[in-house]
Parts: sequence; C-alpha cells; structure tokens
Amino acid sequence: MIIPEFEYVSPKSLPEACALLVQHGDSAKVLAGGSDLLVKMKDGLMKPAYLISLKNLDGLKAIRYQIGTGVIIGARATHNEVMNNSILQGKYRSVCEAAHSMAADQIRNIGTVGGNLVNAVPSADMPPILIALDAQARIVGTSRERTIPLEDFFFGPGKTVLENGEILAEIIIPDQPTTGSNYIKFGLRRAGALAVAGVASSVTVSDGACRDVRIVLGAVAPTPMRARQAENILRGKKISQELIDEAGRVAGAESKPISDLRGSIEYRRNLVNVLTRRSLKSAIEKGHV
Amino acid sequence: MATAIKKGKLHVATLTVNDEEHAALVKANTTLLDLLREEFDYTGTKKGCELGDCGACTVLMDGKPVNSCLVLAVEASGHSITTIEGVEQSGKLDRLQEEFINQAAVQCGYCSPGMILSGKALLMRNPHPTEREVREAIGGNLCRCTGYVRIVKAILAAAEANS
Amino acid sequence: MSEAAAREFSVIGKSVPKIDARDKVTGRAKYTGDLKVTGMLIGKILRSPHAHARILSIDTSKAEKLPGVEVVITAKDVPSTFYGISPARYDETILAIEKVLQVGDKVAAVAALDEETAVKALSLIDVEYEVLPAVLDPLRAMDEDQPQIHPQYERNISVEIHQNFGDVEKAFQQSHLVRTDRFQGNRATHVPMEPHAAISKWENGKLTIWSSTQSPHYFQYHISRVFGLKMGDVRVIKPFVGGGFGGKLEPSAAEYVGAALAMKTGRPVKIVFDRREVFFHNRGRHAQTIELTTGVTKEGKILGVYGNYIIDGGSYTSLGIASAYYAGAMLPLIYEFDHFKFDCFRVHTNLPSCAAQRGHGVPQPRFAFESQLDMIAKELGMDPIEIRKVNARRPDTMTLNDLKVNSCEFTACLDKARKISGWVGKKGKLPPGQGIGIGCGGFITGAGYPIYRTRLPHAAAVVKVSEQGDIATLYIGAVDIGQGSDTILAQMAAEAIGINYEDMRIVSADTETTPHDFGAYASRQTLMSGHAVKQAGEEVRRQIIELAAELLEANVADLDIDRRVVFVKGSPEKMMPFETVANEFFIRKGPLMGRGSYTPPKLGGKFKGAAVGTSPAYSFAAQISQVEVDEETGQVMVTNVWDVHDCGTVINPDLLHAQVEGALFMGMGEAMYEEVVFDDKGKPLNANLGEYRVPTALDVPQVISELVDSYEPAGPWGVKEVGEGATLPTMGCYANAIYDAIGVRIYDLPLTPEKVWKAIQGKKKQS
Repeated sequence: MIIPEFEYVSPKSLPEACALLVQHGDSAKVLAGGSDLLVKMKDGLMKPAYLISLKNLDGLKAIRYQIGTGVIIGARATHNEVMNNSILQGKYRSVCEAAHSMAADQIRNIGTVGGNLVNAVPSADMPPILIALDAQARIVGTSRERTIPLEDFFFGPGKTVLENGEILAEIIIPDQPTTGSNYIKFGLRRAGALAVAGVASSVTVSDGACRDVRIVLGAVAPTPMRARQAENILRGKKISQELIDEAGRVAGAESKPISDLRGSIEYRRNLVNVLTRRSLKSAIEKGHV
Repeated sequence: MATAIKKGKLHVATLTVNDEEHAALVKANTTLLDLLREEFDYTGTKKGCELGDCGACTVLMDGKPVNSCLVLAVEASGHSITTIEGVEQSGKLDRLQEEFINQAAVQCGYCSPGMILSGKALLMRNPHPTEREVREAIGGNLCRCTGYVRIVKAILAAAEANS
Repeated sequence: MSEAAAREFSVIGKSVPKIDARDKVTGRAKYTGDLKVTGMLIGKILRSPHAHARILSIDTSKAEKLPGVEVVITAKDVPSTFYGISPARYDETILAIEKVLQVGDKVAAVAALDEETAVKALSLIDVEYEVLPAVLDPLRAMDEDQPQIHPQYERNISVEIHQNFGDVEKAFQQSHLVRTDRFQGNRATHVPMEPHAAISKWENGKLTIWSSTQSPHYFQYHISRVFGLKMGDVRVIKPFVGGGFGGKLEPSAAEYVGAALAMKTGRPVKIVFDRREVFFHNRGRHAQTIELTTGVTKEGKILGVYGNYIIDGGSYTSLGIASAYYAGAMLPLIYEFDHFKFDCFRVHTNLPSCAAQRGHGVPQPRFAFESQLDMIAKELGMDPIEIRKVNARRPDTMTLNDLKVNSCEFTACLDKARKISGWVGKKGKLPPGQGIGIGCGGFITGAGYPIYRTRLPHAAAVVKVSEQGDIATLYIGAVDIGQGSDTILAQMAAEAIGINYEDMRIVSADTETTPHDFGAYASRQTLMSGHAVKQAGEEVRRQIIELAAELLEANVADLDIDRRVVFVKGSPEKMMPFETVANEFFIRKGPLMGRGSYTPPKLGGKFKGAAVGTSPAYSFAAQISQVEVDEETGQVMVTNVWDVHDCGTVINPDLLHAQVEGALFMGMGEAMYEEVVFDDKGKPLNANLGEYRVPTALDVPQVISELVDSYEPAGPWGVKEVGEGATLPTMGCYANAIYDAIGVRIYDLPLTPEKVWKAIQGKKKQS
C-alpha cells in the first residue's frame, strides 16, 4: 500500500503551524500521531497535499496541573502517556482507564488524545469521559485563542468546530466537586475494537443524594452526546437502584444509534441502557473520580 | 538496467537502529516499515496489514512498541529503533527468544518478531507481569497459528527467569 | 501409542525444539516478500470495483507513459488458458477477459521500478465497464430471474450432488424421534499473517518462482499447464511460509500475473498482496445453509440422516468442488449409522471465491450435527455425552460411504473429556448464565486421491548422508507452513536412520531439487510424507548395517543402530560410530543415500464422489467448553476448553498440542467472531483486520489439550492427523455450551453477542 505523496513540513512553533494551515487551507492536514490520518490516506479517503507535523512542538506534550485551572493535557500526549500519567491517575483515574480501553499498546504509543478528539469519529473513546468531566478545549489560531466546552467541540461525524488555521492545543479538566466517574465501552473483542456503544458518567454524591450527574454516550449518535433526559432522572434525587435503572432506560431511549456492521439500532439502545446503569453504579460506588 | 530513482522532495532521516546510526534520503510518504525493510534490509520486521491492525510490523521506538507501518520515516528521524534483529546481543539469544523456542511458541513465525518485541518491551517496564498483563501487552499482535497459548507461556517463562 | 511405548524411541515422541525456530525468533527467516532478486520489478494488479460487469474497453496508454513503468498488461497480453482445479471446472483466467465476476477480480497489471510508481500507474489505467446486476444471495442464485455468472454453469450451479445410501425414508419411519433443523454457516477466511507473495523470474526459457505456497508441486503443475511449458521448465521454490490454512494451495494472481509480467519484461517481478487483496483472492470458508434431518431410536441410536445443503461458492470454482463433496462425505464418519441422503448445491455468486479452509467443508456441517444431536438428546432426556457414546464409531469399521476406519478411540476421547472437564459435577449444576457443552469431530489424515488425476506417489523423500558421516540431509517436497512438518520429518528421518535429531538437516521444498510431494493440505504430511521419510531412512540404515556387518564381522540380523552408534545387540561393546561406517561406505561405494515414496492403498467405493473423504486413517476428537454469558449484553466469555484427541502416535508432543491449540482457536474465531460482510453492491465492508475480527490474546480461553492412547496401523509408527481435527468440534461445542447457559439455541454463525442477546429476548417474550 502507498501513502499518496504530500509535502511534509515540521514547523518549530505553534504560531508557525497555524500560519501554514492558513496558507494551505483545505489542502493541508495536521499530523499528530498519524494512526488515524495515515490509515485514511492509505485507504484513499484523504489526499492532503501538505502534512503539517507537530513533531517539534514539545510544549503540546505535557500533562500538568495548574492551580486555579485544573489538569491540563497537551493535545500531543499519547494515549499511553495519558494512561500512565501520575497526575491523572491520582485525580481522574477513569480518564486513564478510558485511554487504556482503546485499540492496543502499539496504537496507544502513537495516537494522541488531540488526534482522537479532532478526528471526531462517533465511536471515539476519549470524548465521553472528558465531556463527563466538563473538559474544555483550548484552541489556538493565527489571530486568536479560544477555550470552549469540549461538549461543543463536535458537530458531526468527522466534523469539529476548528476553523481554518486552528489547532487544538490542550484539554483542560477543571477542578470540580465530582465524587466519582467511569467509562464503560462495549467492543466486539477485548482489544483492537471500536466501541459499539460507550457510556461515561460522572456524579457528585453527598448524603446518598446525587447533587449533580453527567452522562455522555459514545458511538450512538453523530457526535458524543449528553443523555440529558437520563441525567434529569437522577439529578437532585436520592440515589436508588430504581432510579439508576430508569436512567438507563431513558438513556437508551434518547440515544440516536444507527445500524452498521457492528450492531443494530435495537442492540445499541440496549447496550446504552445496560452500560449507563453499570457506569452510574460504578461511578457512585467507586469512591474516586 | 534502470532501477528505482527517488523523485520529488527528499528528507534526511537519521535514526539509531539496533544501536547503530543510520541515515537515508527518504520521500515524505515513506513509512518507517519500508525504510527498515527496503533501505536498511531489516526484513525481520514484517508487513501484515499496513493499517495498524495486526502488529506484525511492531518495532520499539525509544523502547515503546509502535506499528512501524503507521510511522513516517521522517517522523522517526531522531529516534532510537529496535527491531527483532537487535534483540539478540553478539549472537547470544535473549532469554525471551530462548523461551519462544523452548515453549514451542513459534509456528509459522510471521507474528514472532512483533510478539517478541511487544514481550520484550513489557518485561523491560514490568519484569514480573501477571498473565493478564502479558495478554494486554500482546493484544495488538495477531497470531493465526498458536491461539497465543504458548506465546503467553514463553513471556511468563522469560519473566520467571528475571526473578 | 502410549507414553510408555513412546519411550522406547530415541527421537520421535520427544518435544525437540523446532528446526527453524531460531531463524524465526531472530528475524533471519526469509519469507517471499523479504527476498530481493537483482533487477527485480514490482508488480501490481488492477482490480475490479464492480461485483459483476462486462469489460468494454481498457486504455493503458497513460499508464505506459509513466516514467518507471516497464510494462502494462491486460488479458490480450497473456495466455487465455482457463484454469482451476478440476478440468471440468476450469473457469478462471490470469486476467479477466470478457467479464469481471467479483469486486477485486483481476483486470490489468503493471510492472514498475518501485511500488509507488506501480500503484500510480494503476490509477492511470482507464477501464470502461458495463455494470451488470450481481448475484449476491446464494439462496437465490439458482432462481430463474438471477443473472448467469459463468456461461457454462446453468442457474449458477457450480456443483450438484445427490448421494443416497440405504433408505432414509424407511429409517425415519422406523425412528422414535425425527428432527429437522436448519442452520446457517458464515463466510469466513483464512487470514494467514503473511499475505500471498511470489517472485517470478523468466530466464533462458525457464520460469523460476519463489512463492508463499502450500504445494510447490501443484503450483508447478498448474503454472506449466497455463503457460504451455513443460513441468521441468517451471521451478517453484518455497521460502519460509507465514501460514496457509488452505488459502495457498493453488497459484494466485501473485504467481500467474507475476509470471506473465516476468515473461513480458525479461526481468524478475515481485508481487506481494496487500491485506485487501488477500480478502479478494479469498478461497476461504463456504457459508453453508444446512437443513439436517436425523432420526433416532428411543435409546438415541441414529438410524438415518438427510442433509440438504446450499453452499456459497463465490466467483470461481477453484477447490470448491471438493469442498462440496467433503461437506457430506464426513458426516457419517464419527457416528455409526446406515442410512444417509446428501443433496448439495454449490452455487456461484459475485463474491470472492470460496475453496478449502482448515477442515475443508466439514466444520459447519459438524456445527449443525453436534447442535442437533444435543437437541435430540434433550428431547429424549439423555445426557449429551451418553447419546454420543451410543453412536460412537468403533475401530476397524467401514462407514456407509465406504470410508475405511482402522484405529478409532473416539469413545475413549468422550470418556476422557467428560472426566477432565468435570462434566458430571457441572452439567445442569452451574449458576444461571453459565454453561458447559460438548462438540465432536473427526477428519481425514491425507486425502486418498490427489487433487488432479495422476498415478504419481503422494510423497517421496531422499536422505543423503554426508561424506564424513556426521550429518544427514533430508530432501523433501513436503511443506512447513508453520505446523512443524520440517521438524517432525527430521525427527522421523533421524529415528529411521539411527542418528540424533541434531544431526539432521532438511531441504524443503524446491521442485528442482527436492523429490515430489503433494504439499501441506488435508493434514497429510505426518502420515504420507512420514512414510516416505521412514522408508528413506530405513534404506540408509540397511546399507550401514550391511557394511558394519562386514567391518564388525557380525551378522546383519544381530546389528542395530541407535543414537549414532552401530552395535551388536546384546554385546554393545562390539560397536562402531555411525560416522565411521558412513565414511567408509562413501569411500568404497560413493554417495550414501536412501529413497522412499508413498502411495495410499486403493480406497473408497464406486459411487460418484466416492474418492472424497477417503483416507488411510482418521482422527477423532471430543471438545468440551465452559462459558459465561452476560445476559444483558449477550457477551459470551469462554472460560475453559478441554480437547481430547485420538491422533495416533505423537512424534513431537509440544508441536502436536500447539496444533490443537491453534486449530481450536481458528474454530473459535469462526464460531464467534468472524464473518466477511458485503454491501448491497457486493463490495466487502470489512476486508481488513480491524473489522474482520480475528480473536486477540485477551479473547481466548484457557485450553487443556489431552490425548488418548492410540495406534494407527496405516501410519508410520502409528501416526494420524491433528492439524484440522480440532477446528471441527468447536462451533457445535460453543453453541451447545451457550444453550446450556441461557436455554436458547442459536442456529447461525457466528455466535455474536447481538445474536445471543436477541435469542434471550426472544425466549423472554415467549414466557
């Protein structure tokens, strides 16, 4: 197999990278890990004339904690780096678990979190847990920077709000009162499988009541979606198995799956129901985020 | 007779492969896999699917397993690569290679280089893995011959030798 | 044979390390794609994007002008000889002439200086197609309104079989219980980790091909015929092969197109399939629709069976003609009954061609039979193992379709499997959602008749001892595709001669230097090639003993050789080292060589298709699996599998168990994970290893592989097969275990979580 020819540029700074993207417009693509982009190019689905490599932008790799802001994950952090990172292990272990659930070791050493978000495949594993933790996306362009809720980052399969010349630089998980979170993915084998359905949930529990809850569904809609109706079942209420079961049912009903070679609509709705229930139970009982 | 001449813009890729410095002029669209196999004659690294699904092309990049079919040669420039040829040292087999032989973990052998490198990387970062951890480490290496039974045994046996 | 008996041997029966293991673990082993030949060009094939279309025109002019392109060919540039396996079904050509019959069919080809140029050149070839309606549903392929794919096969019927033994209708009338059930198998494929590859060189009127092949001989035979060359002018060399499983038993476009390009350019041409092309070439598992009717007595004794099948053959016939016969021929093997009717239609569709895959046509019928037998047992209130024991094949019996069974320890397999799995304590006693089930199988040890009509022996071997006498080289045409034949044949040679395994070298396989062998398929080599090797080794032994008798002044009858020592039995101090005698032999008489060959006895009945299923010997196996079902998602976790095999004498225990583990792993993949799927235009949706899901190391159960004592008189030292036998029981085994766990029967493969979940929902609705 051949990767179609392209011009390769490896800018030395983020502004330089953004400028190159503006210069070449639609004929340029950002190369982060490449585990998704290069596959698409080999399959003939993409033929960018320019690849703008982020390889020299070491600043985008770091994972750090900033007081007042939260945990900042550089977009170039690989999934294994996220998985093994001690800050995330301490504060948001479910993010590490979500990264761990992806693909296989080799891909996790190449693929980046930023890449996973920007490729915006509906079955992506990182968006649901990050959105459940109210993550923000810091986007850098030639003339401006903006930070938006990650929830608003996607608007269709493969489509994000990034405008020409913009690069996703960091993902910020803000400090929050969340007491537990969890991501469960259902794949058709135990490694190297896309999610047939994935559910992330985060809860803030005190005195047996659910003060706040976020439920995010993956692979069952054009983009990762908040199961808001399911959330409303639980929010502000005393936690009970009946309510958790109800939330699961409602989440299944409000999901918008399609039928494809991995699963039918009916089966996916069932998975959402089951996984929501299990994710909530785990988030509630876990005792850590 | 005419042989292949590289056309178009060429980049210099310098990388350490199996502790030896290598340099090549490559097109941007050359993969690390093709650089290793075609330029440097490290044919031990195999081409199985070219899309990152099978792990036959696994090499270690700075000690971490990657699918070389999905790494551009220009991106690998500046890094240290270990291929299967670099596992034995001065003609002496690594313990892991010996266990692959002893445990009959090699059938057709096409997945073996990738398996051994994934296993080696695991043992370097975790000298006493559980069986589950071994299976996870080779989760991205497909084998069609063995059912993985003896491969897992071999990696655990090599870990035993560490204690 | 028993372990005790095995101990009396010096080399066989021991788990020696594989003779090629060191090369494979160091990366030194060279597979075809690793080889480079001076002046080599890269060949690439242009493949059809349509499932069924007429080729109206092909314009190669732009491609030819691309710098670096040496030649572009289409059908007009190559022989139009039709090829295939059976002369009556030669229906494929090197490049498509009038029509393309599947997505991925071969239309044109390029040879260029490098891969990138070749791929670019393909995109510059303009093909005008007239798209035709495609046949995509095998169950409708024979309908009147369907397009005809091949001009010579009416109603798209590739093979039509009607076999009738005894009187099934009468048997059903006499039965206490008759069941008819319908099963649907899945289209699966081999997925060898190494894609097909060949390097073709045309020099001085001679073709040399290095190929990832399961049979250099068959390749030599077919390629010489297609190109009109004498066989001696076609040399096929096998480097290391990265798996075959039946998919590399006939030449593919890698050889045919590669050879054509080599002839046209006068330069060597390498063609390596990418993974998609492996899926296009396919030659994998037929999806079989099976309607099975079985009648039994009140005691569970099978009286009669009627199998009515439609199987999806895909585009070209290839080996599929045999697959269709095997699907019925092996049904009467493991259980004894006298009345059997078999109707089978193999039909053509515009999908990749199906042919031989591990177990060759037999796994899906076994799935059906084993599932139905369990259902019958349940209706009769019998334990599934009990009903199998009632019917189990016994040794020295003849099946109703004239298959001669010598050794058979199937009952012992059932008993042992029951014991080691803890069946009695588990069946019906596991917590809800957990289950235990059994599946059985039996398979040929080499086919009684070769793939084409010939009187050639099936295997031959030559052993040459070195002039110093310190090593011996075994020359064989048998092919090691990973199963370990090089190793066990070397063990057999050493045993037969009387030297050590470490003294053996092996050359395999090269049609110009190694003697003829039909290759690796139908699990034939341990028995058939083994016979030839044993004979060759024994001829060396005889010559050494004769000379040693002279040198030691002893009687020939009193001499023996063991572990490189020639000695007088009873007086071991009267001895000479093997090397000394061998060296002296060379000095006096020249090369010390032994030759062997093997042809099976005349086997089988006289009815149409009787040859298929014949074999010198048959293996038998019982497999039990334990599963846990997550009823809310349908996900099935197979926690344990116990396999008990009757495979005769074991030459290398480690390699044997490794084969069982691998075979049942493939059975598991097909049982639960794998299916090739297409869109409504016949385009594969998952021609890649991300969506065609071969199980990973995290998906496989704990496997316990055990054997029963067995000795097969037709095999050298009593050997039988094992490489395919363990694939057969698995699908039925899992289906039965899942039924035990959730109380619902699933009739179609693969047994995916969604299907299990749907079955559970269906059961809930009923109650």
